[in-house]
Amino acid sequence: MVRGLSAVLLVALLGGCYDLRSSDGGGMTAFEPPRRYDPADVAVPDGYRVELVAHGLTFPTAVTFDGRGGVHVVEAGYAYGEAFLTPRLLRIEPDGSAVEIARGDERFGPWTGVDWRDGAFYVTEGGEVGGGRITRIEPDGAQRVLVADLPSRGDHHTNGGVFGPDGWLYFSVGTATNSAVVGVDNWHFGWLKRFPDFHDTPCRDLRLAGVDYTSPDPAGGGAVTTGAFKPFGEASRPGEVVRGAIPCNGAVFRIRPEGGPIDLVAWGFRNPFGLAFSQEGELYVTENSYDRRGSRPLFGAGDLLWRVERGAWYGWPDFHGNVPVDAGDRFDPPDADRPVRVLAELPGEPPRPAARLAVHSSSNGFDFSRDPAFGHVGQAFVAQFGDQSPTVGKVWEPVGYRVVRVDPGTGTVQDFAVNRALPPGPASWTGGGGLERPVAARFDPEGRALYIVDFGVMTMSEEDGSQPRPGTGALWRVVREDRKVAGGAGEAAP
Amino acid sequence: MSRLAPPLLGVLLLASPLFAACAPAQRGEPFTPRVRPASAEAEAGERVFMRMCNECHPGGAAGLAPALNNKPLPAWMIRWQVRHGLGAMPAFGPEVIPDDELDALVTYLIELRRTPAPTG
Repeated sequence: MVRGLSAVLLVALLGGCYDLRSSDGGGMTAFEPPRRYDPADVAVPDGYRVELVAHGLTFPTAVTFDGRGGVHVVEAGYAYGEAFLTPRLLRIEPDGSAVEIARGDERFGPWTGVDWRDGAFYVTEGGEVGGGRITRIEPDGAQRVLVADLPSRGDHHTNGGVFGPDGWLYFSVGTATNSAVVGVDNWHFGWLKRFPDFHDTPCRDLRLAGVDYTSPDPAGGGAVTTGAFKPFGEASRPGEVVRGAIPCNGAVFRIRPEGGPIDLVAWGFRNPFGLAFSQEGELYVTENSYDRRGSRPLFGAGDLLWRVERGAWYGWPDFHGNVPVDAGDRFDPPDADRPVRVLAELPGEPPRPAARLAVHSSSNGFDFSRDPAFGHVGQAFVAQFGDQSPTVGKVWEPVGYRVVRVDPGTGTVQDFAVNRALPPGPASWTGGGGLERPVAARFDPEGRALYIVDFGVMTMSEEDGSQPRPGTGALWRVVREDRKVAGGAGEAAP
Repeated sequence: MSRLAPPLLGVLLLASPLFAACAPAQRGEPFTPRVRPASAEAEAGERVFMRMCNECHPGGAAGLAPALNNKPLPAWMIRWQVRHGLGAMPAFGPEVIPDDELDALVTYLIELRRTPAPTG
């Protein structure tokens, strides 16, 4: 009786407290350049060592290795916050300096991925303005576009780009929106002003439930009603069929290295950012899941690691993992109604995720350990960019800003590389010289060094949204204590 | 009013750790030795934790939601909170977390917070 009464009173005391507390995201800090770099500020398990390979990069997003093991990175060019710079492919010299191999057109940033195959680089161009592309780049900088006009002009882009054991290049295209309904949040991102008719396109025909949302019209004033998979201001009808098409949003594709038509691998993702193959040759992807924003916000939907089954539908926009968005109060935002399903018929049953990662962690590029000398063979090392609160929703403490190690067999997640400060956060938040925003993790060809691509500083605020800081990106690597790897920018840099 | 005072005081005492962390919430690698479940039940609890709790309380530390590995709640209160929810936390009924899984989860959570916290 007393216990029950105590519990009820506890609810009375704490119910509703969540929204009374302000957000404390890791990007919600002031930043005064220059950025400091100090590997000693990054904690790794006993037996490992962190080294700084290169610094002073601008929005780096991916790393690969040429046929001789030479380290190369891509700089995105575009970054959230409407920063339009020039995307570049760089070779990182043993002393940590960077040599430009190729540069792209700023309309096709952000460059989000790079892989090497048979004497050439394959770069994934996000296409914020010009649409997504996959481009082959020779070591002398010559470029040939393999596929163009992928539907990447929204919130999320064309991502990944990794060769599978079958010789195909696998890549992904994210969704235009948070949860299929174009809203004011997309206006704040910037793209809705450029492309007022842009919206999500499904890969297969979908029958809609006719669920619409009313929101302010930031362009014309007043209010508009918008349905799922519709342009801003266009309602849907119950039973209406939205036609599927290829290319589409929220999907994984593959293409031959010589070009040709793209082949749909799987769909129903939100933003499948990282792609990697396990030792067994199975494709896995990381998915950035729903935010608490826009006309159809969800609360408490963490990022996911998926094993990809060919032809499967992965649940977006009516499921998070294998759980429906209207399952009890599971995804109810504290300040909004329960999410309603927008599909009248499901195109399939979503599989079960391999692992569930932190909400708003932005779990991105990853790789599998394959060398016993490094350890944890078969486990995925996932770079977490870190929360973009308050834009994506509120957080209690900084989320992400680290590399985690995931056992895809059990779904167990452990920190692997994280800043030493308590609580951990990006270096600009903790005041240290460690990691800012890890965006990709990849092993070298021997599997003995884990390279961590650090996007650099991106501060966040309610008023200004994302503020990415050029020249603050870095490349780190983690090795076993007893192993020496040639090259690097040194132990610390000012 | 006087009859309500003792339970209210008890609730406040129980709730106080929820407002003030008792120790740093970070546990396990790379700050301290990895938390390895000491029993089969705790190991099962870890799997339940990763499936049901890790998204909002990554590693038991704070994330979207407050840390839960530095709050000395008794087992019955953990069970109550999981079943009924609290504030922004949703409720997880027996159809989502069966009773035996909830027992395992509680065992794991208690083990998690017994792991020494790092200093700093």
